[in-house]
Amino acid sequence: MLTEIHFTAEPIVIPPEKLPSREIGAAVEFQGIVRELEEGDALAGLFYEAYEPMARRVLQRHFEELAAIHPCAAVCFVHRTGWVPVGEASLFIRVLSSHRKEALAFLGDAIDRLKLDVPIWKRVERPNHG
Amino acid sequence: MSITVLAFAQSQDTFGFSSKELPCSPEDTPRSLLLRLKPEANLELLRVALDCEFVTWDTPVGSAKELAIIPPVSGG
Repeated sequence: MLTEIHFTAEPIVIPPEKLPSREIGAAVEFQGIVRELEEGDALAGLFYEAYEPMARRVLQRHFEELAAIHPCAAVCFVHRTGWVPVGEASLFIRVLSSHRKEALAFLGDAIDRLKLDVPIWKRVERPNHG
Repeated sequence: MSITVLAFAQSQDTFGFSSKELPCSPEDTPRSLLLRLKPEANLELLRVALDCEFVTWDTPVGSAKELAIIPPVSGG
């Protein structure tokens, strides 16, 4: 499976779709968008930080394991870091496969695993430690 | 030898730094190193990684170069 993992401090630009073969029949995309209300409080945005080398390693492992369960051809993962204002995307994932069922299952499981042990954090306030 | 200790998210507030170089020996564990830094620290809700792999708090650091304090993750 082709895997792309990106972190960016800039607004996420959705990468152009590249079909790795003529057997691709499903492209499933997800964007996580920062919303105003978080646990009842109105926010201007969220601050994201990642331990990138470890996050890449853990994500790669998750994607390989998920590809064995839900065979897919490619996954493109983009996560924003730094300050993300309300209304902008913090996460983009695209999964390509021959059939929609595998792509949808892969995407759902990938997001569940992201929230399990991938070292990325969001904070309501910007950190002030050097 | 020394090890770089990285603190992320709310653990930066607990420990008061984001990165720190600490002298250590291979027999030291993440628990012993962090309690040396902050004896009252509660490690219960935190996980720890050595060179980008999760380990237990009582794993000897061995020749690891980097120790990361991993609070509950919240990506997405």
